[in-house]
Amino acid sequence: MIGNTKIDIKNLNVWFEDNHVLKDMTLAIKANAVTAVMGPSGCGKTTLIRALNRMNEVIKDSRTSGEIYIGEQNIYDRDTNVYELRRKVGMVFQKPNPLPKSIFENIAFGPKVHNVARGKRLDEIVKRSLKEAALWDEVKDRLQDSAFDLSGGQQQRLCIARALAVEPEIILMDEPCSALDPAATAKIEQLIRTLAQNYTVIIVTHNMQQASRVSDFTVFLYLGRVIEYDITKDMFEHPKNELTEKYITGEFG
Amino acid sequence: MSRLIDMDLEQLTEMLVRMGEMAHKTVSLSLMSYIQGRGSLGEVQELSDTLILMADEVESKAFEIIARFQPVASDLRILKSYMKISYDFTRYGRYALDISQIHSMLGGARECENWIIRVIKEMSERTLSMVNASVKSLKSHDAEMAKTLSETENQVDALYSKYLDRLVEKAPATNKCTISSVLATRYLERIADHATYIGESVVYLSTGERVTLR
Repeated sequence: MIGNTKIDIKNLNVWFEDNHVLKDMTLAIKANAVTAVMGPSGCGKTTLIRALNRMNEVIKDSRTSGEIYIGEQNIYDRDTNVYELRRKVGMVFQKPNPLPKSIFENIAFGPKVHNVARGKRLDEIVKRSLKEAALWDEVKDRLQDSAFDLSGGQQQRLCIARALAVEPEIILMDEPCSALDPAATAKIEQLIRTLAQNYTVIIVTHNMQQASRVSDFTVFLYLGRVIEYDITKDMFEHPKNELTEKYITGEFG
Repeated sequence: MSRLIDMDLEQLTEMLVRMGEMAHKTVSLSLMSYIQGRGSLGEVQELSDTLILMADEVESKAFEIIARFQPVASDLRILKSYMKISYDFTRYGRYALDISQIHSMLGGARECENWIIRVIKEMSERTLSMVNASVKSLKSHDAEMAKTLSETENQVDALYSKYLDRLVEKAPATNKCTISSVLATRYLERIADHATYIGESVVYLSTGERVTLR
């Protein structure tokens, strides 16, 4: 497949206690593109993206083997700085989860924690992040309002802006539109396409039409294995694996 | 458990197969009339017009299915192919009508010498067998049967080209026959081309493979 590899996953296995969730997964995720991860419930979609910023480690009795390279660095090497990794690999969750603070403070929180900016520079980061998340025009006159005053769709874009504020390279999105109405979903989808110009975006979605609308590449997982990984257009027109065909045409799942 | 989309796809397949059978009937009627020298322009015109209406119905139904179910994979390939095939069926009807019009204006095969009649009959039989095979392969989504259309199309092409060469060499009895038969054989050759387009669509919808059968 065309494009440079951003994330190189080699023989990845993840267990939660005795449950072998991801099985010998090898996958090269392309840079500056949107990759959709789809598959039936329990196939390992969320576990896969959480492996990319070592978020599975916060779950008790989880175990990971294999290698994930971002650039030259195997993120599972002992000397990896996990906080730096999570700055580089941002995450947006299913349900918008703003902090109980003002709109401004939600965005400023990350740069403050990472100690990268204050004062005027911080103002600039907040403005840039909100603009990149296509939220600036809607909130520029009320930055001190509570983030909870925003609509669901705006809150989700705020969470995306928060992820962008720490200048990540990769953005992981776990069902980012599942709690949103069609209009808010359309805005997030447009935003995802725009973000792909500067970031590598990986989105987990149950919604196949959404995967086909927003992604350049699609991974189909089943029972913890990669069944098919292809250019989205090709997978939705002519899947090469019978399981993929059956899943995307609704014969199972 | 069958899917919601299946019932609509089955309905669309039935519509298209009915259209194919009517297209076959149209071509067959026009050719038989041309060879046997009996007028059928009015009837062929009516059938050709009906095929155009049926193509509109197929297209509307396909659009409805796209809007309601957002099909992908083989479902999507079926819809794309069906819309193409319905157009090819209207072309069968249009060329059948052209042949009937030539017959009406210039006379049919009876105006010609026996050797020309034999060529027209042979081309007609092979072309009609292709029309038949294209409809059959569509009915059963049979990619292998569709691929065999390529061979017959080569035969029709060869007959057409050889006929033109012989015509130049031998010069037929009347100008009417020359014009009428050249046009009729040309239309037969085009009908055969459309049969291979249908074959290509059938291969694509059933396997996803893009082939050229011409």
